[in-house]
Amino acid sequence: MTRVVVTGMGVISAIGNNLEQNHQNLRAGQTGIRTAKHLDSAFADTFLFGEVSYSNPELRDRLLFESKSGLTRTELLAIMAFDEALSRSGITPEQVSALDTAFISATTVGGMVETEAIHGGANTNKLPSEFVNSYRSGSHTLSIAQLYGIKGYTDTINTACSSSANAIMLGARLIKSGRAKRAIVGGVDSLAKYTVNGFNALQIFSDEMTSPFDEARKGLNLGEGAAYLVLEREEDAHGKSIFGEVSGYGNANDAYHPSSMSPDAVGVRGAINGALHTAGLHPEAISHINAHGTGTQNNDYTELLGFTKIFDKIPPYISTKPYTGHTLAASGAIEAVYSLLSIFNNEIYPSLNFKTPIAGFNSSPQTVYMQNVAVNHVLSNSFGFGGNCSSLIFSKV
Amino acid sequence: MFIKDLACISPQLTFEGAFFEQDAIIHKGSQYWAVEPSYAGTIPNGLLRRMGKSVRLATGAAMPLLTKWSVDGIIIGTTDGGMEDCHRFLNQIIEYNEGTLTPTGFVQGSPSAVAGGLALMAKNSGYNNTHANKGLSFENGLMDAWLLLQEGAAKSLLVGNVEEISPAQYRIETLAGFIKKNEVTADVLFNSATAGAVNGEGAAMFVLDQVPENAIAELVDWDMISFPTYEELTAKAYALLAKNGLTVSDVDAVMLGYSGDANSDDWYGEFTTRLFQNTATIAFKNLFGESPSASAFACWYAAHLLSGKQAHAMSVIRPAKSALRTVLIYNHYQGKQHGFVLMRSV
Repeated sequence: MTRVVVTGMGVISAIGNNLEQNHQNLRAGQTGIRTAKHLDSAFADTFLFGEVSYSNPELRDRLLFESKSGLTRTELLAIMAFDEALSRSGITPEQVSALDTAFISATTVGGMVETEAIHGGANTNKLPSEFVNSYRSGSHTLSIAQLYGIKGYTDTINTACSSSANAIMLGARLIKSGRAKRAIVGGVDSLAKYTVNGFNALQIFSDEMTSPFDEARKGLNLGEGAAYLVLEREEDAHGKSIFGEVSGYGNANDAYHPSSMSPDAVGVRGAINGALHTAGLHPEAISHINAHGTGTQNNDYTELLGFTKIFDKIPPYISTKPYTGHTLAASGAIEAVYSLLSIFNNEIYPSLNFKTPIAGFNSSPQTVYMQNVAVNHVLSNSFGFGGNCSSLIFSKV
Repeated sequence: MFIKDLACISPQLTFEGAFFEQDAIIHKGSQYWAVEPSYAGTIPNGLLRRMGKSVRLATGAAMPLLTKWSVDGIIIGTTDGGMEDCHRFLNQIIEYNEGTLTPTGFVQGSPSAVAGGLALMAKNSGYNNTHANKGLSFENGLMDAWLLLQEGAAKSLLVGNVEEISPAQYRIETLAGFIKKNEVTADVLFNSATAGAVNGEGAAMFVLDQVPENAIAELVDWDMISFPTYEELTAKAYALLAKNGLTVSDVDAVMLGYSGDANSDDWYGEFTTRLFQNTATIAFKNLFGESPSASAFACWYAAHLLSGKQAHAMSVIRPAKSALRTVLIYNHYQGKQHGFVLMRSV
């Protein structure tokens, strides 16, 4: 059976504009959540956000392309992480354009970050803005395909907050089947009025720092960012630095409610068991869990319940949402990068803002940085609206 | 991979009517609205009133199949999902200058609300995925399904597409020049010689299975390419045929996505000139209109033609000499994303 390994990663988030900065802040337990500087929203001062430090002009300045007009913040963030992933993996421009290279990206907000420009214009029949072609989910994928000359299989996944976990899963499956030789997979979302108002209307924002798995948790902090991984067949990766293997993946639907999770964790258990099954692992082999851990009442209760039903002894688990905020479609890929950093560096990063276990569970996340620990298999969870639940397992090579 | 069952709500009488026995509806103008059924017996009334159009179209087409067949997962290709709901929420944001809003449009307007809603209604906790990749969303869904069947992770799956015409999307696409500004009737759509296509909507749903027993047609293979040259495009089609042990002369008909858009129909002309000069040629967008995942409607149409139904005369560009056994669908979206689906009779 072909083994799928990760030879390149790129990430931009509230805790850093590249892989090194993200890694440093994880090790230091340093949050990126603060008052937003660039977000244009009436709620910019009401809530705290995981905002990328660069403004749009600063992001544009960093791109090497000649034509930069019409690129939304979503596309700018995606290109930053995409470019870093390519350069780390060392795949050539010819390989990027090869017909057997797949590119699978994920987003929820896409070009809707330009709310007024696109939809204000749509209402008033004003002249088309430079963003007229950007509003659809698939637009950022197409922009990147055009800029980098990608000719092979392309896909855009939108399963809300599990989107980029599904992108990683699909990339690994394409390679294992022989339909692709390599795949660039990941996702992006930018802070936008659309999602800020959506989650505010659902009343699941915390007005403080998010505190996943804490009894007094009040909700999530919204974040933004992008992450991409270069997946290759192990036999093609000789001589390259390998961050780890994509060894397991599972996808299940909770089939319970459009925007909340079932009390018996049907989807959560289905996704985790599916991932264990494809990886051929027993639960006790899992060294560490990067939980979905959004800090909402509903998610953390259901996810923890799922853990207790699967694991006799729950391995050290963390949520990295208190570092980056909930980055929606990007979260699966960003947390995949963090899981692989754990494996590659033999360390587990501390979960932040936790004080008191959830009533009924005598369980706490890992809150202290652990160094020189054997991290062989990491489970990473992503759950979204529409009952979409996905789990990935990354393993040491 | 085999089509065991299928259903389609479209601008034609494909759902309740006798599409192949009656004259096709000749649409006029640039919006080909779906002919919607009453949904009675499929969707409870209280639920129906609250559903956005995409969810309604997809549920109406898919639920009878999900009731009849037991499937291991649900895969939907859709460009925007419920764009009208999404835009309603965006308008609230602008109108009330943010503030306290109702989240219905936000939740329902997500593309994943379609596959998620079907899972909820059918109590299906299996694999669930949504491909929102514009012009290749349906081909993406086929690939996803095929992988699951190959892996042994599923035996049977529901795969389909849904697209809705919404005021916002229609205005944006018109502003961008992708929709005709002059009024043309469907029977002369391909002679219009003007820029832009006509906007279509609907949902085509398929029950796909690994085994051929009682199948309607076979989905042999599919492929895609983005931003190709003509040479790269024809090489891709040729490679797809060769990979499946076929040559150009084995293809009984090509089904092409001619949309009447003077800016992008050349792709089809060039494609036939280079590869399929003498092959029977069938169009479908003068029946179903243009939408990013329109190849799903082509696939529904081709499945019926491969099982012995006759093509509507207005869709036939070059007639077939004999019964169809092998059909190649070639469709592109706005000249950027190009997809192929190869189908065979069983």
